[in-house]
Amino acid sequence: MTNADTSADDNSLDAEIDAFKKDVDRTLLRENLKLTVTQRFQKHRQVARFAEKLRNAAQITRGAE
Amino acid sequence: VTDFEGLLRILQDAKVEFILVGGMAAIAHGAARVTFDLDVVYHRSPSNLVRLANALKPLRPRLRGAPADLPFLWDAETLAKGLNFTLTTTRGDIDIIGEISGGGHYQDLLPHTVHVEVQGVSCLCLGLEKLIQVKRAAGRRKDIEAIAELTALLEERDAMNQ
Repeated sequence: MTNADTSADDNSLDAEIDAFKKDVDRTLLRENLKLTVTQRFQKHRQVARFAEKLRNAAQITRGAE
Repeated sequence: VTDFEGLLRILQDAKVEFILVGGMAAIAHGAARVTFDLDVVYHRSPSNLVRLANALKPLRPRLRGAPADLPFLWDAETLAKGLNFTLTTTRGDIDIIGEISGGGHYQDLLPHTVHVEVQGVSCLCLGLEKLIQVKRAAGRRKDIEAIAELTALLEERDAMNQ
């Protein structure tokens, strides 16, 4: 792979990242930055528990179909 | 849900040399994406392999996704013979990484770490800039959204610190 190839790949990746960056909820990030690391872990645990409940519920629903 | 703090405490109490990486490192920095496993890069010195093996042994680690009846012996020798292990334990899922794609080994990452404290557990966490660099270098399509969030996080953090 040449330097030009690598640069083209980087540019392509940057373009994709920029496209996704437009959808990032920066308000949420700013809120998180105000928290301590422990608070960030606690918040994540609550969200992860909820996500797991949803995932389990979806599996039960699929099983009943 | 994986007991992230509990697993970190177990590693710390056993004096395992490790660096928090991956999704929970991103959470430590302030990311909002949900993750379900703990990723750590461990030092592959013989003494650390023994400490790591002994620390996790009571949690009955087995290879994630492998058949329940597949024999798996968790000890320092297994760690020495392998490199990266995706494990399920009684405390949840943990990825034990000897070499991280795009980032190298424990010693390579060490200069790019920061100390974080989670509920009284102090551990090394990969710095945000390096976390982004590692994810970029790994080149996985599934990471692009995460890289976008981490890059935005870095911008917000820098703006806040100005």
